[in-house]
Amino acid sequence: MAEIVLKNIRKTFGPSVVAVDDLNLTIQSGSFVSLLGPSGCGKTTTLRMIAGLDTPDGGELYLDGKLLFSESEGCMVPTEKRGMGLVFQSYALWPHMTVAQNVSFGLEMRGMPKEARRKRVQEVLELLHIDTLQNRYPSELSGGQQQRVALARMLAINPDVLLLDEPLSNLDAKLRLEMRTELKRLHQTLKNTILYVTHDQLEAMTLSTHVAVMHNGRILQYAPPLTIYRFPADLTVAAFVGSPPMNFFSRSENEGSDVFRSFLPLFPGLAERVHTVGVRPEDLYLSPTPPLDPWSYPAIFETVLPTGSDWIVSLRVHKRTIFLVLREEPRIKPGEQVWISTRTEKLHLFDTQQKRIESP
Amino acid sequence: MKGQGMRIRRLVTELRLLPYDPTKVIGFLLCAALAYLILAPVLALLLDTVRVNLRDSATIGIPTGTFTTYFLQRTFLSRVSEVLFWKPFWQTLFVAGAVCGIAIPMGALFAWLVVRTDLPGSKLVSRLMVVPYMIPSWTFAVAWISVFKNRRLGGLAGMLETMGFVPPDWLAYGALPIIVCESLHVFPFAFLLFGNALRSMDSQLEESARVLGASSFTISRRIVLPLLKPALLSSFLLTFSRVLGSFGTPYILGSGVKYYLLPTALYNSYKVGSPGVAAVIACVTVLMGVSLVALDMFFVREYRRFITLGGKGAILRKSPLGGLTLPALFFTLIALGITVLIPLGTLVLTTFMHRPGLFTVENFTLDYWIGATIPAMVGQKGFFLNPDILRSLKNSVWVAGSASLLCGFLGMLVGYVVVRLPKSRVAAYLRQVSFLPYLVPSIGFAAASLSFFAVPRGPIPSLYGSMFLLVLVMSLKYLPFASRSGITAMMQMGNEPEEAARVCGAGWLRRMGRIVLPLQKHALLTGVLLPLISGMKEQSLVIMLATPGTELMTTQILRFIDYGYTQLANATVVGIVGIIFILTLSMERLTGANLATGFASRG
Ligand SMILES: Nc1ncnc2c1ncn2[C@@H]1O[C@H](COP(=O)(O)OP(=O)(O)OP(=O)(O)O)[C@@H](O)[C@H]1O
Ligand SMILES: [Mg+2]
Repeated sequence: MAEIVLKNIRKTFGPSVVAVDDLNLTIQSGSFVSLLGPSGCGKTTTLRMIAGLDTPDGGELYLDGKLLFSESEGCMVPTEKRGMGLVFQSYALWPHMTVAQNVSFGLEMRGMPKEARRKRVQEVLELLHIDTLQNRYPSELSGGQQQRVALARMLAINPDVLLLDEPLSNLDAKLRLEMRTELKRLHQTLKNTILYVTHDQLEAMTLSTHVAVMHNGRILQYAPPLTIYRFPADLTVAAFVGSPPMNFFSRSENEGSDVFRSFLPLFPGLAERVHTVGVRPEDLYLSPTPPLDPWSYPAIFETVLPTGSDWIVSLRVHKRTIFLVLREEPRIKPGEQVWISTRTEKLHLFDTQQKRIESP
Repeated sequence: MKGQGMRIRRLVTELRLLPYDPTKVIGFLLCAALAYLILAPVLALLLDTVRVNLRDSATIGIPTGTFTTYFLQRTFLSRVSEVLFWKPFWQTLFVAGAVCGIAIPMGALFAWLVVRTDLPGSKLVSRLMVVPYMIPSWTFAVAWISVFKNRRLGGLAGMLETMGFVPPDWLAYGALPIIVCESLHVFPFAFLLFGNALRSMDSQLEESARVLGASSFTISRRIVLPLLKPALLSSFLLTFSRVLGSFGTPYILGSGVKYYLLPTALYNSYKVGSPGVAAVIACVTVLMGVSLVALDMFFVREYRRFITLGGKGAILRKSPLGGLTLPALFFTLIALGITVLIPLGTLVLTTFMHRPGLFTVENFTLDYWIGATIPAMVGQKGFFLNPDILRSLKNSVWVAGSASLLCGFLGMLVGYVVVRLPKSRVAAYLRQVSFLPYLVPSIGFAAASLSFFAVPRGPIPSLYGSMFLLVLVMSLKYLPFASRSGITAMMQMGNEPEEAARVCGAGWLRRMGRIVLPLQKHALLTGVLLPLISGMKEQSLVIMLATPGTELMTTQILRFIDYGYTQLANATVVGIVGIIFILTLSMERLTGANLATGFASRG
């Protein structure tokens, strides 16, 4: 059992940098929560505050109902006493200790006898498939192996809460996929609470039970990954999640407003409130002749980027470039005129406050 | 009321967390200690220039503690100011200028030969070239005086005189020998600085100019020289600060003919004249030191833009010397001989001769090394039996050893606090104050410490004459180096290894013992060994502080020279040089640091 609750947590660096601003978040016991957001939005800071390495300026922090930090109560449980695990982005393995020594350090600090320690180290290393590397030094390991050791070091103490700060960002694509699978498997077996920081949305979407999208020190949306993808709560979330990104047409911008107006008949009741319309690249369809759908629009075919499984198509609509994802290779040449269309229920509507408008 | 309650509660929380992370407390303690040990002495020195001290009050008849402009007037305006200050001042500038004129072209020339031509054996040459900087600066002066000494000073005759040629005064003492000896010591600086500049200068830059049709002369003037300007300016300023800070050479070669430079003038004023005047002169050296470093920093910033030069694909093309190879090699060998072999060889040779310069079989002896009695020196024994030398050796090892340990430890703590509390006022203050001794020439720093510690202050008794004062002053003087390397090493390590240990539940002491110290082992070793080496050859800093009981090897040499015990002085010099060679080599072995680069930092 390990439920983490953050209440009105705030952290500033100096007079001008607000790293985390009035953050509220409840991480249920046993869940795998991703903290997703662009660089500099305060993810690491949040993680460090939960671990106790940084002291918040205000707010409260609970672990299983026990107070870890409170500005008003003057309470601050030091890192050493929180018993959480934290894996750093740089791994921070101790270069002067072997893999086994690295992993057993935390057990030693808990006063575990030597024999038990050895057994536990063996167990954890086996769990991560690195038991053959026991006597190596970190400098003799590959990036992926170091990553596993860093994870093993924290898993050894069997923490209820495991905090991971972009643990896979230093790995190449293949290893990353492997480690992602590994992490998910570990979570399924160990069932501890994991808070996972990443700016890679694919990682957040594939791994987590819940995603918290952060921006400028605030949480914009906290929901299961599919909900975030299908019903982004505001424009920023919609723009951040999804690759290639969602196409937007806004009332106020010059290049897109014609397109924007063409959408208006689709939702007569909301025409006044809607300020921006968004549509995901995979929800747009392409046809060489004007289709019969309720909405369609002419566009100029610009270029195509085949990814292997999909084709990302860029099109010129007025002076804007928009993206489409096709499952099949388009049979159109650059410069030709095409029509794009979509279904009404695929549209995402946002008001002037950039908040999502639920379609009727 | 509520705000106050909050503040108290916050304080209580902080106190409870202290055992887990005492960085702030260590930081405050360090700040206080450095304020007391570095800032206060410098302020005391300033105060001494306008306040009557105990010794002066008797001679000038003004009560102790009175504020007065007497010392300032006496130093700068009075009839004796010419002798006390102005002459040494102009002579210092003259000597420094002349040393620049010799050492910089010499360093630049050899740097060019080694880096940009196909001179055979250039690796070995470049290693040997820095030896003169490794051995103490006054070694050359001691060697010089053994050779060129004439009757004017008592004691044994110099080698040349014994061989039948009596050197004139201008050759034996004063400006010329000082300039030559300082140049020999300083030119490795210029060699290193120019070497680095030339090495990072892409030949393609010159070749581009050549492709565009520039003549060799134009290339030198428009491309090469501007790129070497930073090295030139740095060498220039460094030479000045060296001359300003070195005591031994002008003392050995100048005192006999009353040719004083600022360091010796300051020493004289302190020893036989007025401490107040000495304080004023010390302040002048401090001021000059500060402006030199400020200028250097200004230029470094100014020329930072050049640093990108040696980027990718930089090519170092070596010009063939062709027919000039042999002459160049010959010239280099002669230079190496003059700068390294001849001075050291002379020193060694003299210690085996009763009358240096008399090459007869019966004139050779081992007395000055192992003799229980020495015929020519009543009451003295050879090097290995001589109680004065042995005591000074013990003192030197003790003082330099403790100072380097203290210095390395303090440096590491400063590094720890600065890196752990980035952007805090504590960190900024520690950075600056620990750097301060760098700005102050050694002898001025010693004067400041004397001003402050020579009198009892509160519970602390007068430290004058105690070994502890020597240890303290030495470790503070080398602190800039140690704290810089401490900061760099801590930054390289970063916070994460320690934070990872925190997460694992390790308390502060455990983190220090298991993570931080083991990871800093290497840096700490360098941070201790370099001050140890500098400390063994330190003279300017300790000359004012050493007393008959606390004589170090370096000050003992000057006593021997004062008494005219040439061979003993030389044997002691040889002893120190030997120790320094061994230390330097073991440091290279232990840390993998290159002597040339390690010493290029201007300790
Ligand atoms: N020690 C610090 N001192 C000053 N500012 C800081 C400090 N740590 C973080 N910040 C600032 O706080 C903000 C949030 O930083 P944080 O490291 O939490 O971002 P992040 O979301 O983890 O970014 P990234 O994805 O790049 O790791 C940034 O603007 C950063 O510059
Ligand atoms: Mg981060």
